[in-house]
Amino acid sequence: MEKILVIDSEKCTGCRICEQVCSVWHEKVVNTYRSRIKIVKWEMTGEFLPMVCRQCDNAPCVQVCPMEAISKDSDTGLVSVNYDKCIGCLMCISICPFGAMSYDFIDNKVMKCDFCDGKPQCVRFCDAQAIQFKEKSNTNKDAMQTAAEQVRKAATSINK
Amino acid sequence: MTGSHNKTLAEKSIKGRTTGQFRCLYCFERVIPPKNATEYTCTKCGYAWRIWWFSPNEPRIRGPVWEKHEKLSREKMAEKGGA
Amino acid sequence: MSMNRKIAYINLTTREIKTENIPEKIRRLYLGGRGLDNYLLYNHVSPNIDPLSSENVAIISAGLLVGTLASASSRTHVAAKSPLTGFIGSANVGGFFGPEMRQAGFDHLVIKGKSEKPVYLYLNNGKIEIRDASNLWGKDSCLTQTMIQKELNDTDVKSLCIGQAGENLVRYACIRTSVKNAAGRTGIGAVWGSKNLKAVAAKGTMNIKIAHAMEALEYNKKIIDQIVSAKVSKTMQKLGTLFIWGATNSTGLVRTRNFQLNQLTNADDVEPESIEEELVGTAGCFGCQIHCRGKYIIKHGKYKGTYDEGPEYTSLGAFASEVGCTSKNTVLVGNHLVNYYGLDTLETGSMISWAMELYEKGILTKKDTNGLDLTWGNDETVIKLIHMIANREGLGDILAEGPIRAADIIGKDSLKYQIHVKGMSNLHSDERPTPALALNVAVSSRGSDHLRGRPAIDLYHLPEKFLKKIYGNPVPYDGPLTSDYRDYEGKPWQVIWQEICYEAVDCLGICKFHTVFLGPNMPAFDEWTKLIYFNTGMEFTAKEIWDVGDRGYTMERLFNIREGLNRSHDNLVDPYFDEPVPLGLPVVRGKFIDRDKFKIMLDQYYELHGWDENGVPKPETLEKLSLNNEPSGLL
Repeated sequence: MEKILVIDSEKCTGCRICEQVCSVWHEKVVNTYRSRIKIVKWEMTGEFLPMVCRQCDNAPCVQVCPMEAISKDSDTGLVSVNYDKCIGCLMCISICPFGAMSYDFIDNKVMKCDFCDGKPQCVRFCDAQAIQFKEKSNTNKDAMQTAAEQVRKAATSINK
Repeated sequence: MTGSHNKTLAEKSIKGRTTGQFRCLYCFERVIPPKNATEYTCTKCGYAWRIWWFSPNEPRIRGPVWEKHEKLSREKMAEKGGA
Repeated sequence: MSMNRKIAYINLTTREIKTENIPEKIRRLYLGGRGLDNYLLYNHVSPNIDPLSSENVAIISAGLLVGTLASASSRTHVAAKSPLTGFIGSANVGGFFGPEMRQAGFDHLVIKGKSEKPVYLYLNNGKIEIRDASNLWGKDSCLTQTMIQKELNDTDVKSLCIGQAGENLVRYACIRTSVKNAAGRTGIGAVWGSKNLKAVAAKGTMNIKIAHAMEALEYNKKIIDQIVSAKVSKTMQKLGTLFIWGATNSTGLVRTRNFQLNQLTNADDVEPESIEEELVGTAGCFGCQIHCRGKYIIKHGKYKGTYDEGPEYTSLGAFASEVGCTSKNTVLVGNHLVNYYGLDTLETGSMISWAMELYEKGILTKKDTNGLDLTWGNDETVIKLIHMIANREGLGDILAEGPIRAADIIGKDSLKYQIHVKGMSNLHSDERPTPALALNVAVSSRGSDHLRGRPAIDLYHLPEKFLKKIYGNPVPYDGPLTSDYRDYEGKPWQVIWQEICYEAVDCLGICKFHTVFLGPNMPAFDEWTKLIYFNTGMEFTAKEIWDVGDRGYTMERLFNIREGLNRSHDNLVDPYFDEPVPLGLPVVRGKFIDRDKFKIMLDQYYELHGWDENGVPKPETLEKLSLNNEPSGLL
């Protein structure tokens, strides 16, 4: 059962509690620059987009790692780093198309989303539900439902 | 001390939260308007309110039904030289 | 621990910078934020200085829990001697600057002197740089922030700044951050302007250590659940503070036409629910799940296509009910312009509506206004006057001086029409039917103000038993408490309780929407003991936090008394006592404040505070609060 973090940027209020709780969960400190998730903001136009690892099927980071330190779990879908193998070459950071692999400048290691042991804290704390933890096969359901309701409404008003 | 989990007043109150009703601003009675009603007259004091639903289950007062109560308002406004 | 953040003294004249640790002893007395700012003001501002001279001191701070897991722990506090009132200048702002400043290593900045040329400060991982701001001078408050990010080549940099209003020394210019956040009141923007200080920018990647991280995380979740499940929060998530305008206007508690009326009737277009239709979403400050800032794009007129955030209660009051306008476009444009220029929206609206009443009464004529038509509800004039105030043009130059000075310049009977306390305009609400709220504005330390001690829940008609639970904690209170907002009984204690609650929450750096302000079931002293412990490891009892609040508020009093404040300043203008409200629900219509009963309330208020009949803290009160040796010069 592969799961993924589904982002709805329209719901995001830009409060950055996801960054805050992510850093506390992983590092026991608040440091928004050590968070695995980051809200990219166009502040002066009120646009916010949370960016986080997409756990790609064909993950470039997995492919590029010369030490085979990064692997994707076929069960959970999680792409994770084996720090015993990692040599800190940062090729994974260079190649990630989302910039989701980042560098922890205090512990000197690469860092990425690890689903917080199956209970992503960003999801738990996001009251606006801009980030949801969903089964991959279900990611389209909400959008489909919303669209269906619009069609239904339109159809009903035409038939009247 | 602070580690103990004696519930505070605010923590206890979380369970008693109500939905679907609003308080009449005139008599403070809690009233339950029919779903999606846009106007509602308080069953206790008879004051007529315009209703706004900020979620499908939660109504709040938008304002008085001016025509029903505010003949006086208009007179006062006119007295003060306004529209 | 997370409290190892420093205090920095920056002299803009000599360009000297000195940083120090904040001793734990001071933390225990003042926590941080507003409380410690008060201490610094009392210790570093000499009496009777000109607020716009280099002798004034501009203070910036983050509260004790800012950035930590304490829900909406985003608040930055700014302080100085106010150029508007001559008393304490003090204002609080959300956004993202506070947490960034703490990650950059600082809790308090004490800025002295005056720079020869425009400058801005850049805080970065324990270092402070004074940088040239010549190219930022003259720029609006949003562009300034963007330009700083560009110059430093980092979009993570957060800034506090002033707009043109602050540069032009408008006496109610504010400090701005993000699109709309503003430390609005008491004119601290003008103090920055007088120092040639355009902005303070911060970027920091230093850890804020959480003492008991997992407990803090769990407790924060609990607190958030408690807050967002409240109806008031769900309403705020949709309407922001506009909802207050709707509810109070329904009752007849909104100040209209400069206090002539108390309700804006038949104005559907500017009702919060109508403005909500313009919103394209909402935005939140750091860590906050209430996200009360509406996002909107102006649809019509000259500013079509402009993005801004808000409007809040005060902009709705300022550019609709107060000036008699009934078009939401005016509210949205007006709100944008005060953000753009960095003006206090409340004071701006009040000054414009005052001018409009003077025009109605014939005290101001077309000759004085250079042909401008100041008739009530003239949308174009309202917008024009905002520009004129910010740029100090024509009549705007006079209005930029604030209530008392402007009345001095215009003369005649004009002061009679000013609705102010201690030289600061009243909120756009009408407190004549509500003695508790009226007492709050009369005694507020920074001049007429609702955010110093408004017992807003007094309007909710809560059962006395419940009121006793709230107001009897953490210090016992055996006096009366009444559910009826029209009563005078027990109200002084409610005001004091709220004053101390708001002072404490400002020391912690948490937003007032996350304590007993608009919702009665919100976290307060008991919850804060846990938040402080889990986040910082410091143990405080609820009573100790109360004492910090009490100490902070009394310190503000001491500052004001040193600047010449006495009992006569804790008063309301005559219309409160002499003119009954004409509109609203039958329960409020005809109400006004009874002079004798007000006097009794004021006596009780002083007594309960431990102040004498002139409002001066008694020696035993000062001793009890460890304030008997101030100024003590520990920092």
